[in-house]
Amino acid sequence: MDIVVLVKQVPNTTEVRIDPKTGNLIREGVESIINPEDRHALEAALQIRDNTGGKVTVLSMGPPQAIDGICEALAMGADRGILLSDRIFAGADTWATSTTLGRAIRKIEQFDLVLAGRQAVDGDTAQIGPQVAEYLGIPQLTYVQKLEVREGAVIAERALEDGCEHIEAPTPVLVTVLSSLNEPRYPTVAGLIDSTRPRAPIEIWNGADLGVKAYEVGLAGSLTQVVKTFTPKGARNTQYLEGSPAAVAAQLIDALRKKEIRLGE
Amino acid sequence: MFNIPKPKPEDLIRKTFARFTDEEIIPRAREMDEANQFPRWMFEKVATTGAFGIRYPKSVGGAGGTTTQFCVIVEELARGSMSVAAFTAMQCLMGTNFLFEYGTPDQHERLLKPAIRGEKVASFALTEADAATDLGGVKTMARPDGDSWIINGSKTWITNAPVADFYTVLCQTDKSKGLKGLNFFLIERGTPGLYVSKKFDKLGTRATEISELAFTDVRIPFENRLGREGAGVGNLLRILAVIRVMTAALSIGLARAAYDHSKRYALERFQFGKRIGSFQLVQQKIANMATDIWASELMTYKTCEMIDRGERALKEASMAKYFASEVACRASDEATRIFGAYSYSMEYDVQRFYRDCRFLLFGGGTSEILQTIISRECGVF
Ligand SMILES: Cc1cc2nc3c(=O)[nH]c(=O)nc-3n(C[C@H](O)[C@H](O)[C@H](O)COP(=O)(O)OP(=O)(O)OC[C@H]3O[C@@H](n4cnc5c(N)ncnc54)[C@H](O)[C@@H]3O)c2cc1C
Ligand SMILES: Cc1cc2nc3c(=O)[nH]c(=O)nc-3n(C[C@H](O)[C@H](O)[C@H](O)COP(=O)(O)OP(=O)(O)OC[C@H]3O[C@@H](n4cnc5c(N)ncnc54)[C@H](O)[C@@H]3O)c2cc1C
Repeated sequence: MDIVVLVKQVPNTTEVRIDPKTGNLIREGVESIINPEDRHALEAALQIRDNTGGKVTVLSMGPPQAIDGICEALAMGADRGILLSDRIFAGADTWATSTTLGRAIRKIEQFDLVLAGRQAVDGDTAQIGPQVAEYLGIPQLTYVQKLEVREGAVIAERALEDGCEHIEAPTPVLVTVLSSLNEPRYPTVAGLIDSTRPRAPIEIWNGADLGVKAYEVGLAGSLTQVVKTFTPKGARNTQYLEGSPAAVAAQLIDALRKKEIRLGE
Repeated sequence: MFNIPKPKPEDLIRKTFARFTDEEIIPRAREMDEANQFPRWMFEKVATTGAFGIRYPKSVGGAGGTTTQFCVIVEELARGSMSVAAFTAMQCLMGTNFLFEYGTPDQHERLLKPAIRGEKVASFALTEADAATDLGGVKTMARPDGDSWIINGSKTWITNAPVADFYTVLCQTDKSKGLKGLNFFLIERGTPGLYVSKKFDKLGTRATEISELAFTDVRIPFENRLGREGAGVGNLLRILAVIRVMTAALSIGLARAAYDHSKRYALERFQFGKRIGSFQLVQQKIANMATDIWASELMTYKTCEMIDRGERALKEASMAKYFASEVACRASDEATRIFGAYSYSMEYDVQRFYRDCRFLLFGGGTSEILQTIISRECGVF
């Protein structure tokens, strides 16, 4: 089975700082890591390849430093890495990102399965997987916590809010995974060293390689624009009501009335 | 397609082992220390990264790495647990080096490759009751007998001895030759006449096991002499700089742990209505730790570069080990002062740093003997 894994480089910090002018994440000075769920997607791909044969290609769109993530992915065992990097890709929203990734997957041609993380810890939208599937016109299985492959199909267990769902889909198919799917291996030291050698199987593709126009990708190709980004003030004003149940109920109704919350007259 | 510069392998290795330490070691470090035994599961976990083969070529399952990369790995591990870093260093270097350099293809298949995969544990035995800093005093004898050697004697303070599958043992073959009569021998666990004592109860690095070895007419095949006759000490000298610089790297890891904990606590703990980090005498401790650590890093990794270029570096490695190990002890001492009474509680990690740092002072040469060596290298003796 030939598998493409979407891997995003994200800042390794829980305190994401935002540029007040542009509303974008400040990535300078923060170490980048592979988005945690993407490691699980890659682990799943490696296990499937080891059982059924085929090839694992990791695909990432990002600035030049995102090559670190590709190297780590090769050191975990991926066969090939492709970094989509070009100034014209910069400032992409999820639509433009999905378009760019989708184009690249079309260019890869040979694939049975696309694996992605459910969600990136910085952007957090969980939109990329589904949008890439739509772009490619293939089925999508999201929130997957168990995955099995058959001839020409995959069977997945999806986590739902109140249970789980078993679904079978024909290949080619896109699957987004949760971290409960598996325990990712660490890159090996030999793999890390080899991934930095000149002959490591890493390709860099730019806009011309994908045959995209500048207006289709990046900021120009984005359907949304960040007007303003801010941290919501989390200051909640909790009021504790005390007394007998009847007294508390009366106080509560008064309080709601004061706030002009209609109580369904 | 255009080109993007590749990252440096040591940077990727540091990032990977920093994460390994944060995710796998730090959450279990106290538990491993308290269990007071060799955590084979952790040994196997480290093995999955291929770290044990960092210094060896691909032909034996290694990674073909450098001394710099090796030191980066053990430094990061030591930040989490000195025990884990110590048994990793033993497996990567002293325990396997002479087997790699002088072992037969069969020994490589049966012992070296499994050791690199983490299936067999290696150990290295120089020290004896009366031969420690002075290895000229080694009394364990190896006597040729037909196509075998017969070993008699004993060793003490041997890291991994209780759990090891094979031992590289320094023995005397000809007393009259002194240091020139010393040779390394490969002895496998289970060889008749080999006795492993019960493990020592010790102050620190409690997740490594140490014991004595005794040899009574232990018969081993002739090819188990690792290296040319009489070349033992010369061969040991060839990796001595690496042993010292590795110990310096372990020291940096521990000093960084002591520093990180101290910094956090200095910003967290309030007295007199202020963070204790706002008091100048606490700031002085932080400043000295940070300065000492940076100096240790510069000395250690500069020396690694020299070794990787094939330079001798014995003086520099001795200086790095001497300086960095003293820094680790100073930093853990200062950390205990910043933590006050809480450093005296077994519930905080600082007490472990304070105990584990002592380990750094002995292996690879004590500070006293290193100062003697440095002075000699400087031409004053
Ligand atoms: C409205 C809006 C405007 C934005 N504007 C900007 C902007 O102006 N400038 C800017 O820098 N960013 C901008 N972003 C952020 C950027 O578009 C997203 O980070 C990116 O599209 C990925 O989305 P996500 O992080 O939510 O990923 P998710 O959809 O949460 O990621 C799910 C999975 O998709 C895959 N994936 C995601 N991104 C990549 C990638 N780059 N390469 C490979 N695989 C990937 C991974 O497998 C990941 O686990 C914007 C986002 C939004 C929602
Ligand atoms: C945790 C641990 C693990 C160890 N693991 C191993 C192992 O795996 N294999 C192994 O072979 N050994 C091992 N050792 C032993 C270690 O190598 C010795 O401790 C070391 O060689 C020093 O010997 P000693 O402690 O007996 O000190 P001694 O040599 O007895 O020295 C005692 C004191 O005298 C000083 N001194 C000695 N000679 C001189 C001199 N010429 N000039 C000035 N001062 C001098 C020393 O500096 C020291 O202060 C281990 C030790 C420890 C603590």
